[in-house]
Amino acid sequence: MNASAASIGHDDHGHHGPVLQYQPGLPLSRGKLIMWLFLSTEIMFFAALLGSYVVLRFGAAVWPKPHHVHLSEPIGALNTFVLICSSVTVVLALEAARANKRSLAKLWMLATLLLGSLFLGIKGYEYSAKFSHGIYPAAPRGMIYERPDLYYGSAVRARLGEPVIIERMKELFTAPEDALRPEEVAGRRSLKQVRDMLQSPDQQAFDLAVVADQIMPLPGDSAEGHSHGGGLNDTFPWLQLPMVIPGGNMWASTYFLLTGFHAIHVIVGLIVFAVLLLYELGPKRAGMIENAGLYWHFVDLVWIFLFPLLYLF
Amino acid sequence: MSDSSSDHHAAAAHGPVTSPGASPEDVGHGPDDHHGDGGHGGLWQYLAVFVALCFLTTMSFLTYSPYWPWRDEPQVGWAFMMAVSCTKALLVVLFFMHVLWEANWKYVLTIPAAMMAIFLAIMLIPDVGFRNRMVSQERALHMARGSDLKLLEQAAAGEADHDGHHDAGHVERHDN
Repeated sequence: MNASAASIGHDDHGHHGPVLQYQPGLPLSRGKLIMWLFLSTEIMFFAALLGSYVVLRFGAAVWPKPHHVHLSEPIGALNTFVLICSSVTVVLALEAARANKRSLAKLWMLATLLLGSLFLGIKGYEYSAKFSHGIYPAAPRGMIYERPDLYYGSAVRARLGEPVIIERMKELFTAPEDALRPEEVAGRRSLKQVRDMLQSPDQQAFDLAVVADQIMPLPGDSAEGHSHGGGLNDTFPWLQLPMVIPGGNMWASTYFLLTGFHAIHVIVGLIVFAVLLLYELGPKRAGMIENAGLYWHFVDLVWIFLFPLLYLF
Repeated sequence: MSDSSSDHHAAAAHGPVTSPGASPEDVGHGPDDHHGDGGHGGLWQYLAVFVALCFLTTMSFLTYSPYWPWRDEPQVGWAFMMAVSCTKALLVVLFFMHVLWEANWKYVLTIPAAMMAIFLAIMLIPDVGFRNRMVSQERALHMARGSDLKLLEQAAAGEADHDGHHDAGHVERHDN
């Protein structure tokens, strides 16, 4: 700053008027400065999101365990690994571009693009697994109830009373036993039971808990071992009965919001990489690659915190 | 940057443009030439950081292993995983984002951001602590409680024991 003021002073008594000398206040290029400023706003954005997640998560009376909501830690860890790999490849692309190894830089950039797409693909697979279990962030499709109370019981009864379901159930109950798979035979029995329990006049909370367990059992702490048939919703996908996951609605809201915003950032990064691939990646473009890389590392950084918070806590 | 470099000869005619305190390599260089000395980076360093990051990711799973001594206190595991995450974040920021080798401007960005993060965390503590002290009646009616989870676990255990025979026995258990 002093220097630029001094240079203006010098130029004042020159022959051709003042020559304004561009002098950066910070010793870095404008693009990088703007990228860092943008990243600091992004830090605030994700700090607010993660902070509210922490408040909701640790202030909640009950929070579903990862297995209750079909979260798979190995898949989350795999995604972490993929993102770390892509961070390395973008750094290597930058180094190659600085060393004027253009084709190598392009190769690393392509690898980054592919790894980012792989991350998104795995994320999409995880989302579809949630959707197939009826876990959605909001009401019209979301079928999560917080507790096995009368509201839950009446929701299940309402679903079982829908004409389509009555029709399908009639088909199922009249089907000969040898036309069904063994788990369908067992499922048919427990579906009858559920229907009878819901119609009984002296219904109690525990009955409804049993109903909830028949529809979608919550796996215990000892993980995958506890699997008695996977529940009615799994055996008969057309049933789509409401299910009980204590704390599940808030979990779904935070999970889809956090991972969704992160996925949007990944998509933006992929677009930037795709655009960069159109250029010759020599030393002239190193600044561009560096800025895109800074953004990508930040996306990686967010995932480093999201992964344990969402999958392991 | 190009306009500034084309002005260089004009500036030279009018005397030095850098203040005496600023070292020449701090000012006015392009983004790519102050890294040319090979003082940082390099394939092996990046690979070492990569291996460290992978190692730390698997370390997060240590809390799940039978060797983890604090299985009954999940808070210890959470603190450990957050420490692991912070270490990973530090590695990414220092090496991949090149902050380790940047000039002093890095503190202009990192110190306020770090302070903001700490203040945010401190300010959230009462929100976490008091969140369930006051809830609306409607919310109290519909929100899940620990007892509901117990009920469901009991139902699941009953299911495993009797293999599909739910009758009077379960109702009795609920009544106690």
